[in-house]
Amino acid sequence: MVASVASSPTSWVARAQRSAIDTYAITGARIVTVSGAEIARGTVVIRGGLIAAVGANVAAPSDARIIDGTGLTVYPGLIDANTNLGMPAATAPRPGGGGAAAFLAAQQQATPAVSSPNSSQPVGLQPEILASDVVRPGGEQIEAARNAGLTAALTAPREGIFMGQSAVINLAGETPQQMIVRSPVALHVGFTPLRTGTYPGSLLGVFAAIRQMLLDAGRYRDANAVYEKSPRGVRRPDQDKSLAALVPVLAREMPVVMYADRQREIERALDLAQEFNLRLVIAGGAESWRVAERLAAAKVPVLLSLNYPRRTTAETPEADPDPVRVLRERVDAPKTAGRLAAAGVRFAFQSGGLSNMNDYLANVSKSLDNGLARDEALRALTIRAAEILGVADQLGTIEVGKIANLTVTRGDLFARERRITHVFIDGRPVDLKPAPAPPAAGGTAAASGSTRASASGTWTLRVQVEGQPERSLTLTLQQETERLSGSIQGDFGSAQIANASVGASGDIKFTVPVTTGTQTTEATFNGTISGNEMRGTFTTVGSGAGTFNGTRAGSTTPQ
Amino acid sequence: MRKLITLFVSLAVLAPAWGVGSAARAQQSQRPREGAARGASNAAATETLIRNATVLTITRGTLANTDILIRNGKIAGVGQNLKASDRARVIDATGKYVMPGIVDAHSHSMSDAINEGTLSVTSMVRIRDMLNPTAPNLYRELAGGVTTLNVLHGSANTIGGQNTVVKIKYGRPVAEFIFPGAPPGIKFALGENVKRASSTVLPGQTRRYPATRMGQEEVLRDAFTRARNYKRAWDEHRAAVARNEKNLIAPRRDLQLEPLVEILEGKRFVHAHCYRADEIIMLLNLADEFGFKIRTLQHVLEGYKVAKEIAAHGAGASSFADSWGYKIEAYDAIPYNAAVMTRAGIIVSINSDSDERARRLNIDAAKMMKYGDLTEDEALRLITINPAIQLGIQERVGSIEVGKDADLAIWTAHPFSVYSRVETTFIDGDIFFDRQQDLARRPELQREREELLKAEVNRPPTEGGAQPGAPRRRPANHHDDDDVDNGEGDNHR
Repeated sequence: MVASVASSPTSWVARAQRSAIDTYAITGARIVTVSGAEIARGTVVIRGGLIAAVGANVAAPSDARIIDGTGLTVYPGLIDANTNLGMPAATAPRPGGGGAAAFLAAQQQATPAVSSPNSSQPVGLQPEILASDVVRPGGEQIEAARNAGLTAALTAPREGIFMGQSAVINLAGETPQQMIVRSPVALHVGFTPLRTGTYPGSLLGVFAAIRQMLLDAGRYRDANAVYEKSPRGVRRPDQDKSLAALVPVLAREMPVVMYADRQREIERALDLAQEFNLRLVIAGGAESWRVAERLAAAKVPVLLSLNYPRRTTAETPEADPDPVRVLRERVDAPKTAGRLAAAGVRFAFQSGGLSNMNDYLANVSKSLDNGLARDEALRALTIRAAEILGVADQLGTIEVGKIANLTVTRGDLFARERRITHVFIDGRPVDLKPAPAPPAAGGTAAASGSTRASASGTWTLRVQVEGQPERSLTLTLQQETERLSGSIQGDFGSAQIANASVGASGDIKFTVPVTTGTQTTEATFNGTISGNEMRGTFTTVGSGAGTFNGTRAGSTTPQ
Repeated sequence: MRKLITLFVSLAVLAPAWGVGSAARAQQSQRPREGAARGASNAAATETLIRNATVLTITRGTLANTDILIRNGKIAGVGQNLKASDRARVIDATGKYVMPGIVDAHSHSMSDAINEGTLSVTSMVRIRDMLNPTAPNLYRELAGGVTTLNVLHGSANTIGGQNTVVKIKYGRPVAEFIFPGAPPGIKFALGENVKRASSTVLPGQTRRYPATRMGQEEVLRDAFTRARNYKRAWDEHRAAVARNEKNLIAPRRDLQLEPLVEILEGKRFVHAHCYRADEIIMLLNLADEFGFKIRTLQHVLEGYKVAKEIAAHGAGASSFADSWGYKIEAYDAIPYNAAVMTRAGIIVSINSDSDERARRLNIDAAKMMKYGDLTEDEALRLITINPAIQLGIQERVGSIEVGKDADLAIWTAHPFSVYSRVETTFIDGDIFFDRQQDLARRPELQREREELLKAEVNRPPTEGGAQPGAPRRRPANHHDDDDVDNGEGDNHR
C-alpha cells in the first residue's frame, strides 16, 4: 500500500496535467471523414483523446478550446505504414587507440541495435524481439514525420532476417507506453544475410534458415503439445522463445511483413508464404504492380514505399548511360499505386526510408497524376493502413469513439501549395515546425542563414583500417537543411550514400553500400564537420571498423 | 584475376567494391532486347517449318538440305520436303546450319547469390530460391545458341547447395525456366577453393574448417555418417508410429541432411568440383564406400591422369577446353583432357562456368578437334547430348530427333566456324532470340530512351551529383566460379 502510494505521484501528476485541457473543437472546417461523405462545413469535437462528435450541425462544447477551422480541411491522422521510428540504431564502436588489440576491442564494442537475452538464436534470427520493448519517444525523425502531417506509424526493428515484431505507435507521447497503440502487430522478415561471418551469410542461406526455423517452430509446437498432455515418460523439449514466437505466425494469427521490392523478391516472398501458409504482407513493393494479379488473388496487401527512385548521378559523357530499365523504373514509380488499385490489391503508403519527409505527400500527389484515384490515395494514407495493421477500430477515419488523430491542412491535402496547419495526436495538438523552404540553389544552406554546419561540397576522405594501407575516396555531398544526399567514389566505382544527415552541431552520418562479390553490405560513417575538416569512425557491418578524416575542396564550399 | 584478388585482399575490411552489386552493374553495360524475344514468342505459332538447312542432329549424323518440322514445342519431323499446315511459320534456312540448343553443364547465370560459404556443409540451400529471370546474360547466352543451363552453387565449401537445371526462357516468369523433370542435384567441391587458400582471415575471426584436403574428406565422411543416422532415426520413428506407440515426438526435420539422404538413396546427382587426381580418387573411393555415385566431376583438369578410374566409377566429366595455369591446382591441366577422357569411355562435356564464355561454347567445342583429334560429331557432343546425359535430360534435349523438345538454333555457317553466328534460337518451339528482330527493335528502343530521358526524374541534378560507376572489366581468363574470395565466400570455380 505504502509502495503503491509512493510510486504513483509522478504518473498522477502527469495525468492531471494532461487533463487540464482535453477538449477541443475545430469549427467551420471542411471535414474529410473517409468513413462517410465529406462534410463541406462542420465541427469535430475532441474529448479525452477521442473523437467525441463530428458533423455539420455539431455545436462546440462550452469547455472546449475552439480552433477556427474556416478555410481548413480536417483529415483522419495520416499513418506511415512501415518505419523504424523510435527504434534504436546499432552502437558504433569507439575509435580505437591503435594496434590489433584496439581493433579487436572496437569490433567487440560494435553492438547490435537490439538483441534478445537468453535467445537460442543469433542476433538477426530473433523473432521474439518486440518493437514495443525498445521503442523510445522523441527524436528528430518522429518530429519530422509529424511535421509532414503523420500521426501514427508502424515501427519495426531495423535489421535482421527475423527482425522482430512491430508495433503501431502514435507519434507523440512522453513514454513508450503512451505511444503504443497496438503491439505486437506483425513479424517482420528482411532477407539481409548476417554480417557476422556466420550462417546464413548469403541470400541462399537466408532462405534455408527461414525454412528450417519455421519447421523447427512447428515441431516445437507439436512436441510441447505432446509433453503438456502427459509429461511422464516424455523427454522435456527445450524451451525456446525464438521458436515460440513463430508459433502464432504458423497459425496465421500473426501476419508476416516481408521486405521485397523487385518482382522476383516479391515472388520469392509469395512462394515462401505459400509453402508455410503464412499471412503475408509485402513491404516496399516497387515492382509489386508486375505481380499484382497474384497479390490480389492471394489477398496479400502491400505497404508501398513512397521513396521513389530518381537520378542522382551527374552528366558525364564518358560514362555508360543508364539502362532503359532504370530509366523506366524512375518514370514508372508513381504509377505503381494506381496499378495496384486497378488490380484490386490492398495497399497503404509508407515512407520507405525517405530522407525528406516533405516528399511523403508530394510523392502521393505524383501518384494522383499517374492514375491513382483521389479517394484511393486518401484511404491508402489512413484507413487502409489501419486495416492492414489491425487498428481500424482505433485509427484511420474521423468517427466518434476513435482515437483523435487528425491532420489539418490549409488547402487540399494533395495540392502543391497546401500547408499542414495542425496535427492532433491522441487528442492533443502537437507543435509543428514546418521545414523551411529548400534554398533556391543547392549547397547554399549556410549562406541562407541556417546555423547548421554546411556539408555540401566535394570532400577527399582518407579511410584507415587498422593494419591496412590508408585509402582515399571522394565524397560529394549536397545539403538541404538537415537533409543530405550525395555519393562516394573509389577505385571500384561509385555509390549513392544513404541515411545521410547532418546536425546543427556538425555531426554527420551516412551509410554506403559496399559490395563484396555478389553480396551487398553497408558501411556506416559517423563523424563531425568542423569548417572544412571532417573526421570520425565507420563500421562495415560484420567485418570491421576504422577511422576516416577528410578535407573539403576549397572552391566548391560557400563558407 | 591475380590483380583482382590482390585488391580484394587489401580491401578485406572496407570492401572490394563501392556501389551496386555486380549483377546490377552488368546490366548497365548493355541492355538486352527483351522485347524482341517476347514479341517473337507471342507470334504463338504452334507450328514451325525450317526449310532446307544443314542439320547437325548429333545422334544421327549431319543431314544436308533437310527440313525440321516443329509442332507444339516438339520436333515433329526431320527429313526432306516436309509439309506443314497453312498457319505454320516457315523459315528458309538455305545455306544455314541447325544444331540442338547448347547445354551448359556448369553455369552461375541468373543466380542472385552463388555461395553460402559460412559452413562446410550447406546442402540446405537451393539455387532455385535465387533465380533471376531478368539477368541480361541469359539473353547473350541465347544469342550464342545456348538453351539449357545447369545453374550450380559455387565452390566455397565441401558440400554446397542444390542446383537447378533451367531452360533459358528469357522474358517468361521464373517458374517456366525450370527444366521439367530434370533430376535434382547438388554441388560438391574439393581443393583450393574449399581450403580457402586465398582468403584472408580478419582479426577475431577463425578460419573455417577444413583448411586441407584431408579435412575435406573428413567433412564428407562426417556429413554422410550423420545422414545415415538421420535416416535411421526417421525409419525408427516411422516404425514406432506403425506400432501405434503413444506420445511420440517426431525427430527434427533437418534440411541439411535430407538432400544427403537423397544422395545415399540415388535420388540426387552429385556434381563435384575438383582439379587434382588425388582428390578425384579420394572422392570416388569415398562415394563407393558410402554406396553412392558421383554423377559428374566438374572442371576435373587432371581427369586425364585417372580416366580409367573415373570410367570405372561411371562418373561423367565436365571440363574446360583450354584453360590452365591460372592457379596452383591448374598447373597440370592440358587441353587434351577432354579427348583423353572421351577415349577412356567417359561421358565428357565442355562447360563455361562463365556468363561470358557461355556465349561461345561452340568455339570451345571446336578446339577439341584440334586438341586430341576428336571427330566433328564427338566434339559437337561435348556441348549437346553429353551434358544432357550428365544432367539426366537426354530424353528431352541434346540432339535433333523426332519427339524431342524443339530446342535448337539456326546458325549462319557451321557452328565450329569463328565466322558463324546464331540467327534464331528456339526453346520448346518458341523463338527466344532472333537476330533480325533484335536489330529491328533497336531504333524503337532508342526512341523510348530519348523519351524517358526527358522525364524530370531521369535528368541529372542541376548541380553536383555522383559520378556514374565505372564499367567493370573482366580479366581475360575469368571464370565465375573463381570469383572473389573475400572471407564471405563468393568463389566458385
